[in-house]
Amino acid sequence: MATAPPYAVEVEDVSKRFGAQPALDGVTLKIRRGEVYGILGPNGAGKTTLIRSLVGLIVPDGGTVTVLGQRMPSLDILARVGYMTQQAALYPDLSAGENVRFFAEIYGAHDGVREALEFVDLWDRRDSVVSELSGGMRTRCSLACALVHKPDLLLLDEPTVGVDPLVRVQLWDRFQRMAHEGKSILVSSHVMDEAERSDRLGLIRFGRLLAEGTVGELKQKAGVERLEDAFLKLSEASPQ
Amino acid sequence: MSRRRVAAITRRLLQQFRRDRRTLALLFLAPLLILGLLGYLLRGGGGVPSMAIVNLDAGPLGGVVASELEQSATVSATRMSQADAQAKLRSGDLAGYVLLPADFSTQIQQARLVAPEVHLEGSQPGLSGSILQAVSQSFTALAGTAGVRFTPRVTYLYGGPSFDTLDYFGAAFIGLVVFFLVFVITAVSFLRERLQGTLERLMASPLRRPEIVLGYMLGFTVLALIQAAEVLLFSLIVLHVHNSGNVALIFVMEALMAIAAVNLGIFLSMFARSEFQAVQFIPLVIVPQVLLAGIIFPLSTEPGPLQVLSRVLPLTYAVEGMRNIMIKGADLGWSSLQLDFGVVLGFGVLVILAGATTLRRRIA
Repeated sequence: MATAPPYAVEVEDVSKRFGAQPALDGVTLKIRRGEVYGILGPNGAGKTTLIRSLVGLIVPDGGTVTVLGQRMPSLDILARVGYMTQQAALYPDLSAGENVRFFAEIYGAHDGVREALEFVDLWDRRDSVVSELSGGMRTRCSLACALVHKPDLLLLDEPTVGVDPLVRVQLWDRFQRMAHEGKSILVSSHVMDEAERSDRLGLIRFGRLLAEGTVGELKQKAGVERLEDAFLKLSEASPQ
Repeated sequence: MSRRRVAAITRRLLQQFRRDRRTLALLFLAPLLILGLLGYLLRGGGGVPSMAIVNLDAGPLGGVVASELEQSATVSATRMSQADAQAKLRSGDLAGYVLLPADFSTQIQQARLVAPEVHLEGSQPGLSGSILQAVSQSFTALAGTAGVRFTPRVTYLYGGPSFDTLDYFGAAFIGLVVFFLVFVITAVSFLRERLQGTLERLMASPLRRPEIVLGYMLGFTVLALIQAAEVLLFSLIVLHVHNSGNVALIFVMEALMAIAAVNLGIFLSMFARSEFQAVQFIPLVIVPQVLLAGIIFPLSTEPGPLQVLSRVLPLTYAVEGMRNIMIKGADLGWSSLQLDFGVVLGFGVLVILAGATTLRRRIA
């Protein structure tokens, strides 16, 4: 077997328009194996469009997307990708356990339901119907659904929106734990302080990647102390 | 109670509807569509039941009755031989024929007795009634018939004198109830799948589109078949709806309708943005079909243009198929039943394909 490609995700000059509105404008980025890569940008910057193009829900107008060494779109590679949508997309009439089991079966995983639920601390609530769970629990359940098949790449679209600070910290602990186990994780966010916990960070605005690097590198590049200021400065420096 | 607060609620409601053009259109156009259709159906100068006159009378009175019938406005009557009339009755081209026997005139003159034979097709009580009415009216034209007893001998090809409206509607409704309930349930749950974001998740998984459609189809078909069996048993055992056909055949037709309904639901749910809009398919898709599928008004009595429209609607064939089986006792050897099954099956395949192709387009 050939050696695994060094990058989990390679996005080359990808563009996508919706009508006259450019959603992605020549984005190029690479996500290494075993890192947490944060996509930071305001609402409407193109974060969701980028993630959807990684799973083939959007076909870019230009450029190429390669996931785990496979050019997209490809149905087969999707079995090794976990995708958590922005809203906790679950079946409200099913229990937490039934939801996770459903996604396990869809992805062809035969076990791992218990492991996934324990990972998000929901094993005790496995028989609770999702509509009766709190917002934070739903988000965790949604995460369990995304990782039950032990994907090599996890795509998380604003997983911490509407989640209280405590759960947010717990979620990020888990992202880092998974990265240590060798999984590659893409997390999008519009919140600066949590994005600082990613190994590397891409700043995105108006569908363009403004800058990329570790938090330290970005601050240095902008010559400022805080990530927020770095974002603003790099944003201004970029031509509209 | 604050007038301003009440007014705020009222105003907000009207503002919302202003943005939902589709609901507004439905609110003001659907009633016109439905009532207009109904008006055209009932007053559009549609066809009247076709019947034949077989005049074997050796005397003069048979001819008088026959020409009276030919001028009747309630039926369209033509003279023909008994063999022709019998053949056309079987093929469904005639709703009935009246036979005036060789001794017709003699009987009236000597026994003061009018005894024509009335042969009815019988599967459509409304048409049978029109024919009996027209026949009895035509005899009032006979001059000097005071004191004559009118005793027609009526025979039925299908059904019988005890065959009532429920027997006629029952056959159609058994299939219809299943079709519409399954359609609404599928449309709403598929829409929910999209609104709650789980369809997006499914589309980002290794699932293939045909797998989604097939899985949905099987799941709802299980429910639909249980419902179909329940409806059928209730109709036959509790309501005693007339059935001269094979129960298994009825069930197969119901199952085909259910499968078509599931996939129609999947397909049409793509054109609704909310559950509210999905429910709007009922007046737009369902009511016109109920009016036009020959359930209430026989196709042959519809105005010509509407007959063409009816012939295009798959539900027409489903309803006809159910009646063919239950009322006429048709089996798969009948070419008319083969056509009915073929159209319903073909429609099912068509909506399966339509659902599968629009699935991807609407998600991306």
